[in-house]
Amino acid sequence: MNNIITTNALTKEYDHKKVVNTLDLHVPEGSVYGFLGPNGAGKSTTLKMLLGLVKPTGGEIRVFGKKLSQENRLEILKQTGSLIEAPSYYGHLSGKENLRIICKLKNVPEKDIMRVLHLVRMEKQMDKKVKNYSLGMKQRLGIAAALLGSPRLLLLDEPTNGLDPAGIQEIRELIRDLPEHGITVLVSSHLLAEIDQMATDVGIIDKGHLIFQDSLVILHEHSRSRILFQTSDNEAAFRLLNTAGMSVKWETDSFYLDHVSDDIVMDAVGQCVNAGIGVFRVTEQQKSLEDIFLSLTGKQVSL
Amino acid sequence: MLYRCIQAENLKLKHSVIYLAFLVIPIIPAIMGTFNYMQNLELLKSGWYSLWTQITLFYASFFYAPLIGIYCSYTWRLEHTHNNWNTFMSMPVSIVSSYLAKLVCIMKVTVLTQLWISILFFIGGKMCGLPGIFSPEIILWLLRGTLAAVTIASLQLLLSMLIRNFAIPIGIALFGSIAGMFMTNADLGNFWPYSLMMLGMNSNQNEDVLSSFAGTASFFASVILFFLLFFGCAVWWLRTKDVRS
Repeated sequence: MNNIITTNALTKEYDHKKVVNTLDLHVPEGSVYGFLGPNGAGKSTTLKMLLGLVKPTGGEIRVFGKKLSQENRLEILKQTGSLIEAPSYYGHLSGKENLRIICKLKNVPEKDIMRVLHLVRMEKQMDKKVKNYSLGMKQRLGIAAALLGSPRLLLLDEPTNGLDPAGIQEIRELIRDLPEHGITVLVSSHLLAEIDQMATDVGIIDKGHLIFQDSLVILHEHSRSRILFQTSDNEAAFRLLNTAGMSVKWETDSFYLDHVSDDIVMDAVGQCVNAGIGVFRVTEQQKSLEDIFLSLTGKQVSL
Repeated sequence: MLYRCIQAENLKLKHSVIYLAFLVIPIIPAIMGTFNYMQNLELLKSGWYSLWTQITLFYASFFYAPLIGIYCSYTWRLEHTHNNWNTFMSMPVSIVSSYLAKLVCIMKVTVLTQLWISILFFIGGKMCGLPGIFSPEIILWLLRGTLAAVTIASLQLLLSMLIRNFAIPIGIALFGSIAGMFMTNADLGNFWPYSLMMLGMNSNQNEDVLSSFAGTASFFASVILFFLLFFGCAVWWLRTKDVRS
């Protein structure tokens, strides 16, 4: 698959501190790429570099296969929608007037305004002045502005900030559906659960370093499921399998096998049954994404 | 692309307070100038011409540049607040167009300001009982003052872009204008951007300061060179510096 964004050793230094450190991002076309990391990990700085708002100290950025440079900047921005840090707006103007400004600058017909307002369910508030909007409404307006003109690439920085739970769900569904319309989304978040619910691909950044990057499926494989056994005699079964050389581990009042193939599970069950031990339940337990993050970074993620 | 940027800037200035400043502030130098003229009738015997020198003495020396400063600070304040720098700089329009669009909108209000001060001048003259209408050369001076305003607007736009405080650039404009009076009196007006207003408007002078060819040429050269300098600085800054919001 083609990558819509590729960065090569992308680095940004502020006062000799590397905020973003030799980042090699690969965002596949047609994906929802979840860019995950704790606050201050370098997510916003990276997104701002992708838009040319912040100039890299080192490395290279390619968007749509073109090198991001002064010459290619407009060509890339034409096909990119963004919402960075917090929604931008002119408070003395209505929501609709704010979107008209973006339409002018993006050279998008104004009839597109109703479409994006409908997508974020803001039709009723469009004539109110934005300074009277709640944070959630401003956020929706920001997403609407980013969607104007159906860009090929959408960069969204913590888009569900300030939204209520129902709003968060709506925006997640909206984002999940965007690739069907030919839009690739790069969405940042410090919430694992959120990325888990909408992303197809994941990059995890911590202290400026990319510590994981692959599809969400692979991330889940990292979660290394374990097989929990519940039998008529847990202690006897544990001893039996342990002497048979299986890597069983005892936990409180039962035991489990760590990340094993189906054959080994079958073998373990067979041995228990042959020894006259009744097997009640064999259940697969997944490590949560929080556990994965903890094992990747060695620290608790903020939730 | 520039036209689209100007349309966008016009939309931003809807319902804005910029027009209130434009209406109210020029009234002050008009009243001060007219009052000064009435107080010194025995010295000022040239009718419309004398009234013009008095009104522009206050207008060009104290109000014109700070007023443009207010327009510029206001237009940048829109971008400095509510995270707008990110959007301003990530739109698919060239930096030169974005910046020129702001300048064009400022100049639009400035031309209206010039019209307004000339209307106030006319009203003041009629209130003093001056006969007929003023001589056409005053229109030339208004146009020259407007040209000088392009230079001042490019300077004030640069200052208000760099300084995120609303009042400081306006204070600089006021200080610059007062210093400009001394520079003009010392015949160094062409080297000080804020003096260009006074030179162009022919404020507080007995005869046209730019009557000679050399005078006119150096005035225009100064207007153009200062404009290119300020404009170039702004574009360079926008191209090379990181956006902070």
